[in-house]
Amino acid sequence: MARGADARTGGCLCGAVRFTATPRQPHFGACHCAMCRRWAGGVWMAVGCGPDVSFNDSAPVATFSSSKWAERGFCAKCGTALFYRLRDSGHYQMALGAFDDSSGLTFTRQIFIDEKPDSYAFADDTRNLTGAEVIDGYLADKSAGAIAGTDEEARR
Amino acid sequence: MADARRQGGCLCGAVRFSAIPKKPEYGACHCSICRKWSGGPWLAVDCGGSVVVEQGAKMGAYSSSEWAERRFCTSCGTALFYKLKDQDFFVVSLEAFDDAQGFTFTEEVCIDEKPASYAFANHTRKMTGAEMFEAFAEAQEDKADRSGKSDG
Repeated sequence: MARGADARTGGCLCGAVRFTATPRQPHFGACHCAMCRRWAGGVWMAVGCGPDVSFNDSAPVATFSSSKWAERGFCAKCGTALFYRLRDSGHYQMALGAFDDSSGLTFTRQIFIDEKPDSYAFADDTRNLTGAEVIDGYLADKSAGAIAGTDEEARR
Repeated sequence: MADARRQGGCLCGAVRFSAIPKKPEYGACHCSICRKWSGGPWLAVDCGGSVVVEQGAKMGAYSSSEWAERRFCTSCGTALFYKLKDQDFFVVSLEAFDDAQGFTFTEEVCIDEKPASYAFANHTRKMTGAEMFEAFAEAQEDKADRSGKSDG
C-alpha cells in the first residue's frame, strides 16, 4: 500500500523516463554479484519499492531478462540503469542514483558479499548476506532476498 | 601486466571490445551523473585511446555533458565507456572487462558530490570535481608540450 507522504520521484539522465516510487523502508542496499557489477559498471545500489512503481506515459524503458527470476530496466535513450525487478512478486528495486532526492535513505545491507572483489570495501555498518543466503531467503519468501526494504526487514 | 590488451563486453554479449588499461588501477566517480547512470558510484579504468569495439556492436551513446558522452549496450543497458568528444580518450567500466582481477583501487573523484550515506573504506587519493579537471588539464598540457603540438 502506497504511503503518499513517502513517495519519491526520479528519472534517467536524459529526462525521458520519470517515475514515482515509494521506498518500503528508508533504506538502500548494494549488490556485489557478478551480474550487477557488470551491468551497472560500478556498485549497484538500490531501494526496495514493492510492485507499485509508476512511469510517465511513453517512457522509453527497455528491459533485459537477466535471469529466470528477474529483469533489469534501463532508459533506451541514455542507458541509465533504473531497476532490478523480480518476476514472481513484481517487486522493483529502484536505482538509488535515479531518485531526484535520496536524502534520508540509510545504507543497511550488502548482498552477494561473497562475490565482492577484494579490491574495494565499504566503511559502512551494514547487514551482509552471501549469495546463498539471498537465494534461500528468496525461495522462502518471494519478496525477500531483495536488496533492502523487504517485508522481512519490516517484520524485524 | 598493465600493457596487456584485455577483452570485455556487456551482460548480453551484444557488445564486445578490447582495451589496454594505462595502469593496473581503477577509480570511483561519485558525481551525480555517474551515480545516476550506474545506480551507485561508477568504477572505471583509464584506457586512453586503446579501445577497439567489435563490428556490429549494439552501442548507444548519450551526450552527458558538453565535453563527454557515455556509451552503453542498447540491448541490455550495460554501462561501458565514458568518452571525451574531441579526442580518443576512453574511461572503461572496471567490470566490463572479462577479467577484472589485478586492479588496485587508487582514486576517488568528485568526492564533493558524494552523498554522506556511503563511504569506501579504502585508502585512496581523493579529488573534488574541480581538482580532477585541473589535473586532467595539466596532463593534457604536459602531453602537448612533449609532443610539440596541441591536441585537437
